[in-house]
Amino acid sequence: MQIEDDEILQGFIEESLEHLADIENDLLEIEENGADINEDLVNKVFRAAHSIKGGAGFMGLTVIQDLSHVTENVLGLIRSGKLIPTPEIINVLLQASDKLNTMIEDVSNSNEYDIEEHLIPLNAIFNGEALQPQTDSAPVEETPETVEEIVEEVPIEAVPAPEPAVEKEPEVMVPTPVPEPPPQAAAPAPPPKKAAPPAVKKAAAKVKVDTSIRVHVSLLDSLMTLAGELVLSRNQLLQTIASDDVRNAESVGQRIDLITSELQEAIMLTRMQPIGNVFGKFPRVVRDLSSKLKKDIDLIIVGKDVELDKTIIESINDPLTHLVRNSVDHGIELPADRVKAGKLAKGTVTLKAYHAAGQVVIEITDDGKGLDGEYLGEAAVDKGLMTAEQVAAMSDKEKVNLILLPGFSTAKEVTDVSGRGVGMDVVKTNLDQLGGQVDLISEVGVGTTISIKLPLTLAIIPCQIIMTGGERYAIPQVNLEELLRIPASQVKNRVERVGNAEVVRLRGNLLPLIRLSDVLNIDRTYYDTEEDDFKKDRRERISDRRGKDTLLTTDGEVDIQTQDESTAEPSGARSIEDRRYTASSALNIVVVSNGSLKYGLIVDKLQDSEEIVIKPLGKHLQACKGYAGATIMGDGRIALILDVANLAVMAELTSMDGTDRASEVAQAAEELVKSQKDKQALLTFRSSETEQFAVPLNQVERIEKIKRSDIEELGGKRVMQYRGGSISLLAIDDVATVQPIADHDDLLVIIFNIANQIVGLLAIGPIDALEISMSIDDTTLKQNGIMGSTIIDGQTTMLVDIFEVVGTLFPEWFEDQEIYEVEDDNGKTPVILIAEDSNFFRNQVKNYMTESGYDVIEGEDGAIAWELLQEHADDVTIVVTDIEMPNMNGFELTETIRRDPRFSSIPIIALTTLAGEEDVAKGKAVGVDEYHIKLDKEKLMASVHHYVKQLY
Amino acid sequence: MTQTVQDTNQNLVELSTFLVGDALCGMDILKIQEINKLIDMTSVPQAPSYVLGILNLRGQIITSIDLSQKLGLGKTDLSLDPRNIIVNSKSEHIGLLVKKISDVVQADKNKFEPPPSNMGGIQGEFFTGVYKTEDKLIGILDVEKVLRLEET
Repeated sequence: MQIEDDEILQGFIEESLEHLADIENDLLEIEENGADINEDLVNKVFRAAHSIKGGAGFMGLTVIQDLSHVTENVLGLIRSGKLIPTPEIINVLLQASDKLNTMIEDVSNSNEYDIEEHLIPLNAIFNGEALQPQTDSAPVEETPETVEEIVEEVPIEAVPAPEPAVEKEPEVMVPTPVPEPPPQAAAPAPPPKKAAPPAVKKAAAKVKVDTSIRVHVSLLDSLMTLAGELVLSRNQLLQTIASDDVRNAESVGQRIDLITSELQEAIMLTRMQPIGNVFGKFPRVVRDLSSKLKKDIDLIIVGKDVELDKTIIESINDPLTHLVRNSVDHGIELPADRVKAGKLAKGTVTLKAYHAAGQVVIEITDDGKGLDGEYLGEAAVDKGLMTAEQVAAMSDKEKVNLILLPGFSTAKEVTDVSGRGVGMDVVKTNLDQLGGQVDLISEVGVGTTISIKLPLTLAIIPCQIIMTGGERYAIPQVNLEELLRIPASQVKNRVERVGNAEVVRLRGNLLPLIRLSDVLNIDRTYYDTEEDDFKKDRRERISDRRGKDTLLTTDGEVDIQTQDESTAEPSGARSIEDRRYTASSALNIVVVSNGSLKYGLIVDKLQDSEEIVIKPLGKHLQACKGYAGATIMGDGRIALILDVANLAVMAELTSMDGTDRASEVAQAAEELVKSQKDKQALLTFRSSETEQFAVPLNQVERIEKIKRSDIEELGGKRVMQYRGGSISLLAIDDVATVQPIADHDDLLVIIFNIANQIVGLLAIGPIDALEISMSIDDTTLKQNGIMGSTIIDGQTTMLVDIFEVVGTLFPEWFEDQEIYEVEDDNGKTPVILIAEDSNFFRNQVKNYMTESGYDVIEGEDGAIAWELLQEHADDVTIVVTDIEMPNMNGFELTETIRRDPRFSSIPIIALTTLAGEEDVAKGKAVGVDEYHIKLDKEKLMASVHHYVKQLY
Repeated sequence: MTQTVQDTNQNLVELSTFLVGDALCGMDILKIQEINKLIDMTSVPQAPSYVLGILNLRGQIITSIDLSQKLGLGKTDLSLDPRNIIVNSKSEHIGLLVKKISDVVQADKNKFEPPPSNMGGIQGEFFTGVYKTEDKLIGILDVEKVLRLEET
């Protein structure tokens, strides 16, 4: 027997020995459990045997392959519950695994080994011949029809084998049956003995695996140079310290900093290996397999040079092998079938690796028959992995991804190559461990692409650092969704209790909240910004005394608070008598996610984002599930890395579905959405000390802090340098009769993008972003540049119409637009039907339309609008509707309109204050053409023009 | 003659002795990597009570265990300048916090005596024996046993 590639063989041996070491312990545990089968465990052993079989097959180690194949057969029966693992069966399996071990250690002679002694008892077990006479009801007989795959290959005969199989007693090493069985008691004896030293054995196996790594000499040289430089710098540093030369110390520090990071990079490079090391074995795998399966397949490999961390390269081997084998076995059809389907007889499998967004993507593409989502869905239901309802609710893509479920196999029969439904499961498990993701895209008849995304390295990850209870913790950036800070004044409005769960409203959705200190069971603290210190928190609940549902929220208290907030100046004049009203009581929430799970983690303080090096925790801390490891921070102290998924489990927040709590939350969310009608996100600011203004938040591009000296007055206009250009600066008092901009040295510039021009509005603090339901007074304070007023926190606030302000100051900017706006070809003015219940918004939208020269019909709710539409059926060009309206809401109106054949093609534009994704989807489903945010004049008008143009 | 010298050499061990609570304990000095002062520790919420926290020893993360608590002798007073004995156990470094470090004692293995039978309970299982010097008694600590995780 010739083995071409030593490295691959070595890899196989190491891997298999590792698998076998595990198999032994696991088998013993399976035996202990007896009839109470631990599926995960059996799955694990099964997969291990499967991997060995696969590897051996590829290496041409037929004897090993045969033995692992029959072992796998028996395990398959145990897994499907057809066989109860008795000590006798386990003994046979253990001996087989011992034999495998021996053969693998002596791999070059393995094909000479005689395995008959194992094959006979294993096959006997598999064929349902009772091995133990005491079990009168051979478990194999039960309901064989559910295991079609196995049944098809080896029909299980219901007739129990007449011969008691005790003869194949494991102690007996003779292949032929011995008539006199050795004493029964001997059989169960060995396992307990073996049970004792598993830990030691496992450790030993691990040590064996430690191997060497090949590094290019040039890289070693550069490492040497860097080390040399480091030594020199150290000498320099010591000298500097000795001479007390502070100025020099700085430059030496910089030097060491530089060398260290270069050294770090170089060392990381030694760990990087080209993925070609793994890809290299596939041409042969594909060739051997395709000849065995009588298929004609080409393998194309792209991106051999893409480099990945050594540990990842090693662990990706197994999953990739499975995927490639799957593609060859299941994906590509037989040449005859291919020709019939109008494809080339020769199939193609492409292996491709490339970098994308800081990750490495590996794609395995075949041009085979593809996966049929419908079929997979049915199969999942048949196998009892999913309910029919679950499957019905799935998208095609989700159905295709069903193949990743454990125990799922679509192959109609078990072949030597694949089809036991373990392959994809192995892939998923292994990749999950690496922090990778698998995704399947498939089209029936065209082919399948499996893409795997992997991190470049596991050693260094970016993390968000947070503080709680005076200690720092790191949250991996991959789990991080966003950071949320709820100012003290809004806590009472946004944090609520649903049952015993605390939730926060986040863009129309409810987010469950977990206090990190509660999960970790440490004293609650809060960060006092005034004193820069952590203090004990006495509050029981976040929503305490301020929450909507608590009786303690007396009006008096609210008043104190609002007063406090509104009169507070940034100078620190605010009262700190009660810290709940100070900035300290703002809530810092880290929104994290893990798969479908998403929750908010309340922490004391948010810090920077940092790249950290993961270090494992000692064995005494393994029981602490909340941590993924630890890292050393810049100051030498340690921060623990939080495990987001386990924290959720610890907080008993396992899944948002199916629990009572989830339904409560869902219900509350629904109610919230209802009550959130016409909420508008506003940015409040001041221009002079006493007058408060607000603009819709969605119009704001960003906010810059500037000094008064940054403003340049040129040509009678105020400008400021911004991102390499100059932008015009406005103040509200340029247009409206309000008090002039305060004479502060520190100013804020609110940047807007209007008519494709950037302008800055001068303002002063305090600024705040909030969501309120507006009742807008559009008469009292209405003037040029001010669209109306509303009361926010007891303070009358003027709403700035930034379009009007800009339009007044720079009418030329809008000229282009005005020209194309008036467009009435047949002498008819386009008519817009507006359905909106709020007077303010209706008037605003109406103004936009009339300014642009359209005629407007208004309806105060959906029902009125519908009547109006029927009345003016021939005139109305476009319908613009609000979503939340009494009597008939926007969705209902849209549905009603679409049901009428006369209006099936009339454009419908929906206006909303919060464009939640579900809302958008729902709107699209009922027939809304476009969504716009209220008061976003430009976009709204652009789309109105667009539709008008289309129609004329 | 040479034979006997070698024999004694083989049986001689150097015991590093230290105070755990008020008990004098000892362990083979060769098992100790180093002894350092109590340095800044990061507490680990939810860790077993005998784990004081983790600390950074030249880039390695080390679990620090209060030996006194582990042996059921009450907490070590952290204000009395306790010491960390860093040992290497199963390819992991662990710090054992003790009240005070005492002398290094040369001991003859043959003179180790089994622990007294009345030394039962938690303490008893962690000692392999006792060693008598002229004026004091040293409990020989079985480090591996101390560091073994309790099965749950």
